[in-house]
Amino acid sequence: MQLSDRVTGAVLVVLGGVAAYAGSRLPAVPGQDVGPAAFPMLIGIGLVICGVLIALGIGRSFEVAEAEAPAGQGSRRLAGLRALIPPALLLFYVLAADRLGFLPTAAVIVLVMALALGARLRLAVPLAVVAPVLIHLAFYKLLRVPLPAGLLPVPW
Amino acid sequence: MTEMLEAFRLVAAPDVPIAILASAIYGLVVGSLPGLSATMATALLVPVTFYLSPIAAVATIITASAMAIFSGDIPGCLLRIPGTPASAAYTNEAYAMTRKGQAELALGAGLWFSAIGGIVGTLSLVLMAPLLAEMALSFSTFEYFWLAFLGLMCATLVARSSPIKAIAAMLLGLLIACIGMENPAGTPRFTFGIPDLLGGVEIIPALVGAFAVSEVIRAMVTPEPPPIPRRKFGSILAGQWQLTKKYQLPMWRGNLIGIIIGVLPGAGADMAAWVSYAMAKKFSKEQEKFGTGHPEGLVEAGASNNASLASGWVPALLFGIPGDTITAIAIGVLYMKGLNPGPTLFTERADSMYALYIIFILANIIMIPLGIGMIRVATLVLRAPRSAVMPVILLLCAVGSFATGNNLFAVILVALFGCLGFVMERNGYPVAAMVLGIVMGAMVEQNFITSLIKSDGDVMPFIERPVSGVLAAMTFGALLWPAGVWVWRRFGGGRLPAAETPR
Repeated sequence: MQLSDRVTGAVLVVLGGVAAYAGSRLPAVPGQDVGPAAFPMLIGIGLVICGVLIALGIGRSFEVAEAEAPAGQGSRRLAGLRALIPPALLLFYVLAADRLGFLPTAAVIVLVMALALGARLRLAVPLAVVAPVLIHLAFYKLLRVPLPAGLLPVPW
Repeated sequence: MTEMLEAFRLVAAPDVPIAILASAIYGLVVGSLPGLSATMATALLVPVTFYLSPIAAVATIITASAMAIFSGDIPGCLLRIPGTPASAAYTNEAYAMTRKGQAELALGAGLWFSAIGGIVGTLSLVLMAPLLAEMALSFSTFEYFWLAFLGLMCATLVARSSPIKAIAAMLLGLLIACIGMENPAGTPRFTFGIPDLLGGVEIIPALVGAFAVSEVIRAMVTPEPPPIPRRKFGSILAGQWQLTKKYQLPMWRGNLIGIIIGVLPGAGADMAAWVSYAMAKKFSKEQEKFGTGHPEGLVEAGASNNASLASGWVPALLFGIPGDTITAIAIGVLYMKGLNPGPTLFTERADSMYALYIIFILANIIMIPLGIGMIRVATLVLRAPRSAVMPVILLLCAVGSFATGNNLFAVILVALFGCLGFVMERNGYPVAAMVLGIVMGAMVEQNFITSLIKSDGDVMPFIERPVSGVLAAMTFGALLWPAGVWVWRRFGGGRLPAAETPR
């Protein structure tokens, strides 16, 4: 997700402005000059200043031009969507782990990730079976993390 | 003396050697995989440290990070892809040596001088920490505020990007640290009515998200690195002694710079390596050989980044201010294990501190045999396809962050910070600056507000005390440094040797 400095700068200005405003609305501690509002307001103002400077392109001379692999326009748009797969899978874990249980959920995550990265089925399927079991062993047995059993309780 | 014996007893407890060995292998493997950094290796270890004894927990962090920083040199040398950002400074040089048929010499130099740097850095920690501890006993909130603030400013200097973007990233981190009711007044702030946010944003999920998940996301949109050609290595350590004798001065300079940069709060191994490589080039008698496979820069920078790793623990242990992102994680572990950072740690828990020094030395000694083993199997490890590694990493991110509090909300945080880290990095905002902002936000605010209340809103006491005056001057120096460089470049006509960086 390559955005121009104007866009990210503007986002920072808005964020800083909102933070400073919301901070200024925080209730003060009676009998004290500086309370919970001071720090967020300072940060918010700082963010606004930085955002303006970034949007104006000041300080860009320090940046190291990064060699970006050339990509076609079409594949680029698709690539943007692919970036959403890992966070989407994490949210899937949050929603499904308690109902399905750890092993099936983890197997789905590993399988989808491996296939998305271009693994053959011959690699992806065994990996999706073995990796969750090993991680379950390590975290449930050794570290005693209460991973949900769900539909597929494990024998240990 | 009794403390020293007690320290040896602590290290000899059966779980500690096992923890050191296991985390050493883990650190070597993770550090050598491109895209998986030393910080990420350490962050993923934290859930494991919950279940270890205090000394074993600290030992895993120390060992894994030292190993990962060395083993980041391996793919840099063989593939021209740095395994960790700390190796990026000399990746081209090492790769050029490999092309000249000197892969063994380059890898051996990485290993040998990493170990030396680590040991010298540890000695500096042993010498410096107790001296500074005495001084730190007289520090008040004013000094702590400036120290924390100086750390944040150094973090923005480290970043090899626009300083304004780095400051913005740091402020964003501070803003994130405002979330919750862990502030001096105990008022809930920016919680959006979500009860899980009342306690604030937890550090570990934020770290795992920003450093690990963002790398997984990056792997989704970048082409797979080329497979590594299989090769057999000759003797790894042959010729290192000659190098040590020939390049004694660069080696010591590298150690020294690494130590200084490590001690500066906020600046870590990456910066140490860049500065040392530039120094080596500047002061070398054979400048023209740099970039063509010349070991001198490798010697200096390789020693430097490992030296900074040990001295980075000085501010962490004394003030609870991280020397870099790795010690930021370590501080969390120290608190969790009852070894609360502070000057009194060196008097009351002296045995634990000695144990920590012993572990540092041990880790750097076993780095040599284990490192040789790792180099020998590196071609095998590096052949592991990304499509097999990344899914497991993602799963570990989910399980590891869940394990920090047995709370699924942490997994949501990991996903959010993964996206944030990815977008920030793509647009030139340094993620490490944001993370240090999150880690130190509470401390900066606490000391700032307390100081303001003490001084009745007056700013003079902030700079009146001698130590706080010096710290304030350093902080503003760090703040104004980029502006000075800009003016000098613009009007002085001076040409700064911009660190060349094809990554």
